[in-house]
Amino acid sequence: MPDKQVTGKRLSGRTVLATVLILIVIPATMMLGILVLNDRKYYFISLLIVLYTMIPFAMVFEKRKPQARELIVIAVLTAIAVAGRGAFFMLPQFKPVVAIVIIAGVSLGAEAGFLVGAVTGFVSNFFFGQGPWTPWQMFCFGIIGFIAGILFEKGLLKKTKLSLCVFGGLATLLIYGGIINIGSLMMFTSQFSWQALLATYISGFWFDMVHAIATVVFLFFISQPMIEKLDRIKIKYGLIEK
Amino acid sequence: MKDSFATFHPIVNFMYFVVILLFSMIFMHPIFQVIALISAITYSIMLKGNSAIKFNLLYMIPLLLIMALMNPAFNHEGSTILFYLNNGNPITLESILFGMAAACMFVTIVIWFSCYNIVMTSDKFIYLFGKVLPALSLILSMVLRFVPRYVAQIKVISNAQKCVGRDISQGNILQRARNGITILSIMTTWALENAIETADSMKSRGYGLPNRTSFSIFRFDSRDKIVLMIMLGLTIMVVIGGARGENTIRFFPSIKMVAMTPLSMVVYLVYFVLCMIPVIINVVEVMKWKSIQSKM
Repeated sequence: MPDKQVTGKRLSGRTVLATVLILIVIPATMMLGILVLNDRKYYFISLLIVLYTMIPFAMVFEKRKPQARELIVIAVLTAIAVAGRGAFFMLPQFKPVVAIVIIAGVSLGAEAGFLVGAVTGFVSNFFFGQGPWTPWQMFCFGIIGFIAGILFEKGLLKKTKLSLCVFGGLATLLIYGGIINIGSLMMFTSQFSWQALLATYISGFWFDMVHAIATVVFLFFISQPMIEKLDRIKIKYGLIEK
Repeated sequence: MKDSFATFHPIVNFMYFVVILLFSMIFMHPIFQVIALISAITYSIMLKGNSAIKFNLLYMIPLLLIMALMNPAFNHEGSTILFYLNNGNPITLESILFGMAAACMFVTIVIWFSCYNIVMTSDKFIYLFGKVLPALSLILSMVLRFVPRYVAQIKVISNAQKCVGRDISQGNILQRARNGITILSIMTTWALENAIETADSMKSRGYGLPNRTSFSIFRFDSRDKIVLMIMLGLTIMVVIGGARGENTIRFFPSIKMVAMTPLSMVVYLVYFVLCMIPVIINVVEVMKWKSIQSKM
């Protein structure tokens, strides 16, 4: 198959640009917004984050004119994540989204990981209701998939159960929990205070813990079969880009 | 009741919600907040009837109270100190009022979004962004299609497994869990294989070739143009009011806002009309319908 397919192991200029945007520009905007704008303007930080995260990825992705096969594999993983979130709707915070996003990042690359995460956050809220929390969820899911992809490319994250579970648990607790709590605080507070942030973290701790445990449980059970299947599809249909 | 505003062109719907949500988030002035809240509640009741009333009473009022109380507990700025907490932190009038205003705003936004979810269906969203983001919009629409499809396919697989005694309803707990994972695994394999087939089918039918058109059932009529122009005019007037400081309020260290003038009255009225556009359209539509009916 001569087509350029799902992005493989390659730290291209695009990935570097995306890394810079995600790891430097977005936190800088957050800090700038927190320091310069006052009162309700916190809200707009979250809107800016959506722009920052979506625009470069969307632009790069669209400009690349992705093949149907690549699109559809991303869509399948997103649909599985959305359906999974729906299946465990009764149990609050017990959702497999982060697990599937990490698997996507590891087997399809950082960019695909980000897209699966962000689109899952967006689409699942068509079923559960859009709101001011949507941008934050999109960002959190997306960045976890992106980091998983980068770490795997760098060889710091292995496809083993243990490695994935440890990363998944920590990423959910620290990255997802860490960011989403700031988000929920920003939505209704005027003055940023460490006390209030700490209180938000403490009140949200068990939710984040349940979420992290859910991610570990799902990664423990589904990571190996899922990765195996994705690898099989990649070999069978020549989706690997060398 | 049928919502006539939702039958307008998606761009009108989308613009309305973007403008309204932005304004609701920016303007902290109490009169603006009350206008937005009343309009949001009216429209949500118009859209959803009794369930909206229940939603607003059951979830929004407790949320409002909790959030109004949260702020003074952590925010101790402001010059009017009412009393001191046990740990020595002051409770100020300003922080209580700000807490109320922020809570009111949050509730307004949530209610606006509940309206947005009904009016801006995913097909409208995909239509609007299909031109700008074709690949991502395609992913979006595929995901929305895949989810119900997978749910149906899981039932098919589960029934087949039941025939050989390997369904999640058979065996002891450990076996059930294992069967469940097997079903999910079969499901994933099927989904991926099926996806590749779909992709090949799309390719053979010319996906990605230039000069292809897409089907849509939306038409930009003159009524869309009129409403869009009115919305634009009202928005500009509200923004001018905002630039003159009519719409804002300062909470800290002491509450301060521009004195009310006839001009501010005009800005309030303009904002009210802007927020009420869907409600006005619905009411006009009902009146039109009634007048046609009576003549027959």
